[in-house]
Amino acid sequence: MSAEPAVTDTPDPASDEPWQRLDTRVVWVDAAKTLLSMVPAGIAIAFFGAEIDWGTMGPILGATAFGVLGGIADLLRWVKTRYRITDQYVERRTGLLVRRHRSIRRDRIRSVDTSARFRHKLAGLRVVTVGAGQHSAAGEAALVLDAVRTETAERLRQELLYGVTPAPAADAVDAAEPAEPRPEGRVLARLARSWVFYNMFSIWAFLMAAGLLWGTYWLLRMFGLDPAGFVRGLADWDAIGTAWTIVIAVAAVGAVGVVGLAVDFFTENWRFVLERVPGERGTVLRTTQGLFKTREVNRDDNRLRGVQIAEPLLWRWIGMADTSVVSTGLSIWSMTPSAQILPRGPISVARRVAAEVLETTPSPVDRPLRPHPRRALRRRAGWALATTGVVTGLLAWLTTLIDGLPGGVWLAGLGLLPVGLALAVVAYRSLGHAVADGYLVVRSGAWARTTTALQSRAVVGVTFRQSLLQRRLRLATVEVTTAAGMGRYSALDVASADAVELATAAAPGLLDPFLTTSVATAAAEAPDPVQAQARP
Amino acid sequence: MAEQPIALRSPKHRVERRAIGLWALQSLIGFGVLAGLLTAAYLIVDGARSWLGPVLVVVAVWGAVVTLVMPLWRYAVHRWEVTEDAVYAVSGWVVREWRVVPLSRIQTVDTIRGPLEQAMSLATLVVTTASSRGAVKVPGIDAQVAARVAEELTQITQRTPGDAT
Repeated sequence: MSAEPAVTDTPDPASDEPWQRLDTRVVWVDAAKTLLSMVPAGIAIAFFGAEIDWGTMGPILGATAFGVLGGIADLLRWVKTRYRITDQYVERRTGLLVRRHRSIRRDRIRSVDTSARFRHKLAGLRVVTVGAGQHSAAGEAALVLDAVRTETAERLRQELLYGVTPAPAADAVDAAEPAEPRPEGRVLARLARSWVFYNMFSIWAFLMAAGLLWGTYWLLRMFGLDPAGFVRGLADWDAIGTAWTIVIAVAAVGAVGVVGLAVDFFTENWRFVLERVPGERGTVLRTTQGLFKTREVNRDDNRLRGVQIAEPLLWRWIGMADTSVVSTGLSIWSMTPSAQILPRGPISVARRVAAEVLETTPSPVDRPLRPHPRRALRRRAGWALATTGVVTGLLAWLTTLIDGLPGGVWLAGLGLLPVGLALAVVAYRSLGHAVADGYLVVRSGAWARTTTALQSRAVVGVTFRQSLLQRRLRLATVEVTTAAGMGRYSALDVASADAVELATAAAPGLLDPFLTTSVATAAAEAPDPVQAQARP
Repeated sequence: MAEQPIALRSPKHRVERRAIGLWALQSLIGFGVLAGLLTAAYLIVDGARSWLGPVLVVVAVWGAVVTLVMPLWRYAVHRWEVTEDAVYAVSGWVVREWRVVPLSRIQTVDTIRGPLEQAMSLATLVVTTASSRGAVKVPGIDAQVAARVAEELTQITQRTPGDAT
């Protein structure tokens, strides 16, 4: 019975294990970071004779103050933080004003991840994140130790994940020795340079460029340069004309953003490796990546329940895909996307990796899916029409309310119709489901076609949902709930006559006591479309 | 409810008749607060009257329709049942839901009683599983029945080993 939460705020009373501090090097790193944050302002004042006024120096002074305050806060955090590992719990006490005590039951630990920023790497430190499959929605967070020595991090990981007996405190001297070589794993994927093309072109490019250019502008201004005048002098903008100026500006900003995203992709995914490594409690899926900030995530294979491949609509023509695992204890909403096992890349690689991760042939995500009835398209088209109608009506109402608005604005609402109908068709074509080899495979989505393969054994409940419109169209949504991933996965708009059959295939035996007698026999036979049509 | 829209039979038990009153009251209070706020805004803010008026009318009509229709409709739909293997509940009105959860996957069983429910001696039975989205809620059953069922279910699930994921 697991009514007891995995993460609690009460200490383990039955242990007198001594409490330990975070590594002392954290203090030195903090001091260095604080000094570094003062350097730009110092240079600007000392060498360029910059006046200390908020107009030009504002951002840099703000950044300096931020850095210094951050350093002090970090120092206090180090002073007030203690952790210990007892037989049953991992515990951490922290907090200056509000004392917080956090403990995680060791048998609930689902991941132990290490990460390091550049400054951590220089100092030989690692940040250890202990995850216990907490529900982020319930306000539970992982336990983070920021930071301990690399060797300590490795020892903690071995200890917590593989149950190696805790080393007695006297072993602290040995901890300085390099960790024993890790067991060799089977590499499933490595970074291919061509993947950068899948990550360069995105609407984020403009946001990134805006940030970069803004930062550069202020930096140059601070050192007494005039970037605006420089750009103005590049060409005779008046002769080029407003329209072309805008086009050139957008193209230039876009280009900066694209290069920025490419650099960002490489720094983030540098030496990316996905491998399956043996551990004491079965194998783990491990990803390592990063240039300045390395990140290593281990996903316990015992908690693996399926995979998910998402294909964004606008890039489906070049076969772009995001690949993630469906696993218990990996939060979809966490800041570090630990469920994602591949950088955004080609669909062919995604499918191959999915097959190898699941170790099922033929791969569940490669199986032909059963399309959903055409009536599902009618429902989607109906939504497109209704949305268009509502928006157009609201716009028409607004034009009567606001005097300044031209009378024809409501026509813009009609422009939604073709987009909506196109999305309806796309969404309809995405629909599909299959049950095979102990997997339930469902696919849906307009903006991102998402294929999920979920193990049948992971199903912890079945829900059918049917609105009035769905009832008229003889459709129903079958949803399986699970402890893994998003918590639920749905086959949208299957024929209502087939709904129970699909759920029974996905979760055998669960629905047997509740079947209507007429269908209990029919379900055993092959589905008969004529019979399905005849149902009222 | 002669014809089932999907091929599952109805659960055995209806909810209490008192639930009709509960749902009507809940809806009345919810829409009453909303309409009250809108009316206050309508009276106080002169400039917004031109568009607050229609909104207020829509909310009032919508509230009246929901308060009249929803409770009876829900009463016709809502049903529940606990067997030796599973909890099975049907709920909803415009959108109907059939939920089945095997007892072996249940993590906690709670009864929730809001102030209105307490006044009417009703309760909501909430059965949660390891899924963050998988809770089965059975509102509008008698408080004593709910407490008894919760007790039984808790005993059964405590006998089941594992963390039910």
